Amino acid sequence: MEEVSKLNPDLLANAIPTVDDRKTKSWTSYLPVIFVFVGAFSMLALRLEIGKSFISDGAFMMLALASYILAALFQLTNLYAPSEMSTKIGYWGAAIGVFFNLSSWLVRWVAGYEREIAQMRAAGNPATPWIFRYIPFANLYDLSLAFAFGAGIATLLLARRRNLQILTAFTLPLAALILTLARFIGNDFIDLPPVLDSYWRPIHVGDASLSYGVALVCFAVAVIYLLKDGVKVEAMAIWSSIFGFAVIATVSKFSVFSALTYRAGLFISNPASTRPFPTAFRLDIPFVGPALAVTGLLLLGVVAAFLVYIYKDNESAKRAGHVLLKAALVAQLMSIILLVYGIKTTTDVYPRLQAEMAAKPALLMAAGQAMAEKQEMSVEDRRALTPNEYEQTARNYMQASGPQMFLSLNANPVELSALITALVGTLFVIGFGFRTERLRERLPSLDSLDNLMYKTACLAFAGLAMLLITGAIWANESWGRPWGFDSKETGALIAWLTYAAFLHTRISRGWKGRSSAYFAVIGFLLVIFTYLGVSYLLPGLHSYA
Amino acid sequence: MSAAEEVINSERVSAVPRVPVLNRFLDYISSVRLGVVVLCILVVLSMIGMLIMQQDVEGFDAYHVSLTPAEKLVFGHLGLFDIYHSWYYLAMLLFLSLNIVLASIDRFPSAWSYIVKPKLDATRGWLLNRRRHFEMKADAGDAASVANAIEGVFKKQGFSTKITEKGNAFFIFGQTGRWNRVGAYIVHVALLTLFLGYFVALQTGFNAVLRLAPGQKTNHIEMQTFDLDKKLNFDVTIPFTIECTDIQQKLINPEGDIDISNTMDWRTEVKIADPGYGTNTYEISLNKPLNYRGYRFFQSQAIAMGSARNITLALTPENGGNAINVQVPRGGQTKLADGTIVAFDDFQPDFALGQDGQASSRSSDYNNPAAVLSVTPPNGQKTRVIAFSPAFADKAPVAGAPKAGYKWRLVDFEKSPLAHVLSIKYDPYNASFVAWYIGGFGLVAALGFVFFVSHRRVWARIEQTEGGTQDIVIAGEANRNHASFDDRFDRIVSTLRGPEDQSNGRSIET
Repeated sequence: MEEVSKLNPDLLANAIPTVDDRKTKSWTSYLPVIFVFVGAFSMLALRLEIGKSFISDGAFMMLALASYILAALFQLTNLYAPSEMSTKIGYWGAAIGVFFNLSSWLVRWVAGYEREIAQMRAAGNPATPWIFRYIPFANLYDLSLAFAFGAGIATLLLARRRNLQILTAFTLPLAALILTLARFIGNDFIDLPPVLDSYWRPIHVGDASLSYGVALVCFAVAVIYLLKDGVKVEAMAIWSSIFGFAVIATVSKFSVFSALTYRAGLFISNPASTRPFPTAFRLDIPFVGPALAVTGLLLLGVVAAFLVYIYKDNESAKRAGHVLLKAALVAQLMSIILLVYGIKTTTDVYPRLQAEMAAKPALLMAAGQAMAEKQEMSVEDRRALTPNEYEQTARNYMQASGPQMFLSLNANPVELSALITALVGTLFVIGFGFRTERLRERLPSLDSLDNLMYKTACLAFAGLAMLLITGAIWANESWGRPWGFDSKETGALIAWLTYAAFLHTRISRGWKGRSSAYFAVIGFLLVIFTYLGVSYLLPGLHSYA
Repeated sequence: MSAAEEVINSERVSAVPRVPVLNRFLDYISSVRLGVVVLCILVVLSMIGMLIMQQDVEGFDAYHVSLTPAEKLVFGHLGLFDIYHSWYYLAMLLFLSLNIVLASIDRFPSAWSYIVKPKLDATRGWLLNRRRHFEMKADAGDAASVANAIEGVFKKQGFSTKITEKGNAFFIFGQTGRWNRVGAYIVHVALLTLFLGYFVALQTGFNAVLRLAPGQKTNHIEMQTFDLDKKLNFDVTIPFTIECTDIQQKLINPEGDIDISNTMDWRTEVKIADPGYGTNTYEISLNKPLNYRGYRFFQSQAIAMGSARNITLALTPENGGNAINVQVPRGGQTKLADGTIVAFDDFQPDFALGQDGQASSRSSDYNNPAAVLSVTPPNGQKTRVIAFSPAFADKAPVAGAPKAGYKWRLVDFEKSPLAHVLSIKYDPYNASFVAWYIGGFGLVAALGFVFFVSHRRVWARIEQTEGGTQDIVIAGEANRNHASFDDRFDRIVSTLRGPEDQSNGRSIET
């Protein structure tokens, strides 16, 4: 029988010990975070000292991307073959990645400042605007860089406990996908829209990146929770396959399944700056359409097979599903390789475009319509336009500018990143299917995961509230109204309401665990919709970021 | 009577009393579960408003044209083109507000009781059911001294304590952050303030625009409303006169265009003449609006027709001599040394003579800038002079010919748009300020208080046993931030156990 503890007799003599080793312990657990900030600000100091010949922000960003991927790989390996070295490399690799990420952002600030000052001096303008005008929060590239940093720093702060360090294996791949998107958007500087030149920008957009980062961590915790809680890997595969299928069905303006083609956007160079103009034209990349269609069908097959397995407990359906899943992975990889290869190696853009437009005049009309939509015209003028006039507009533009058009990976950044995300999703699900029970055992306890999920959801909720409020107050100062249900405002509101519903279900129904995890997943998907979908899919005042 | 008969003939047990319908209804509408349902409905409605373009979004007219008649009819009748101002959306917000109020009324008393009636003592069994609990014993000292010692440990860990005695047991109660229990109610008060401010602003305010060119004076603004693809403007009279005295566009490259990509800021200077408050001059620029008697004026747009804020003229006397440079502000005039008055009347960015012989422009770009002047020689008649840039005037004999005793050349000018457009929000009760600053910041502060502070409670029960030792039960719990509380509790336990007894005993959590 265990002996009951005895009260320390010294206490009776009023000798209450004052030594508290908690502070020492907690200080060391912050070391990676301290390293990130000290290191990144050192890079900033070096950039200011050395000047333009120092490492560029683009290079730092690629280093961050590489570090995130490597660190994630080590932590994932650690799940299956635990070792002290993998854990350390994984954790410090994450810190190095976040250090490169923050360094990229800080160096970009300096580069932005120098660029505009040089322009102003060349034009004889002696003014020196305040440095916060150049803080990297101006466009989607900047926000993506900051978002990835937010996710990284949130991971380092929240996963300080030893048993939670595995979080990096799930959050860093997501941060790497954000940086991949940033790479495809391109790090060209834009001219800052005057309305963004306000002290509210660092506050509002800074809060956005940190809140989104915490929401990403909450999502990762939710996925780990579901895995630990025994959700079938096949069920996860169904969701990731549905996502992959939806991406394939919608890219290239739905042409993959309707016409078995994938058309990539065309750029035209801009003599005034390095940033090219997008055109309304798209060019068919050979073989990509059929490859994506096959992938889509394989993913559908996965969904069907696993649905049969789950509802009919059919083992052969399960086996078939796994085979189809692996085939879908190969197909996704091939499609992306073909797409990238096609974009990089196509040189005869104009003749091919001419041939394609001649064969399919409907494409000319669509391009003409897209061009007309961008022009300001009255309702009557717009109604009066005929299909022939749309075609003529497009034909004239093609004849004038066709020879200057070119393909680029940066033309459809969201589409390409979505395809890569779907691939990564499939890869992860296949990974989860490998020695699943062992994997589940190695994950932290349900209780600690649930606590972390709740904590991150609370932080995301508070962060999104601050985002909405600072946005409203800034809008009140600049656009003349605090709240106008602009797409981005509404998107952020929807994400915030979802987290509110999540928190309240815990109160009212004692919902913990799996139901909460589903809410956390939906909340994050809505955050991504606000971050990306609003800029690319929906018009509104916020369309620049 | 047999046993069976006793059972059969036994008195009817009364049925569970039915709760009155009204009470059940009130319970239902004050339930958090219903609140979650309303939140989900609001999410869906908000999403619809994002996927179906709203009538006040730019490009709505093109979108509306592209819809089929059936879509126009159905979406229109359902109010989907202006869903955020539809009666059902506002009703959902109001219903959510009601639900919040009722749920708060329901739950507040129990939250308040944590603050005013803390649980100072508890049974042994109750303590052992807490999330964290620990049993130990004390060989030395009496119950009172042990209680004092444990109280000291609680205090050292930041708890405010109270010792009570009940029966033959001592109880120590410690707590921190008790006000966290009402944090959620403060959050909801802030949220309701925000809703209220929003509603009041919606009902009592309106949006308008005002186009102002320098020198223009008016007491009318244009209120704008949307009706599907039609923009309707209504003239509104304001209780004061607003006159534009200056507009300026701060360019990145002063020689470049006045389009948005070359602009850092726009500035409008206005003079407001108010019968009640006198005449004052104000400045409006981007992100720096003007608040005046419930009217907020915002820098909205610039009319991108090229103009000049001030001009520099090079005047070469007709009879010979060196050229003199003079600067004239827009709408202003200057007097030369010989008494000639030069007034800057107008500016044309791409000069052309209109059919009526008046100065006009071919385009809004600075292709052939010209300043239109009224020149009054000392003893002569006022005459119109047009000063062109040297590049044009030197090549065109008529344009460059001397007039009123001088050869006139426009050598420099500060680029400026022709007019600015101010957008105006009328908010007579400052409801927006109340909603967003007080309600909004209050909400954020309250959320910070709710999530970063927690109500932590610890208890100790000391009871003397028959053998003369003290039986001690330590227990604790927090309403959130459990991991952090666990650390604190573990430190209490390890302090109480001391260094010699670390390897023994049980620290139990459920």
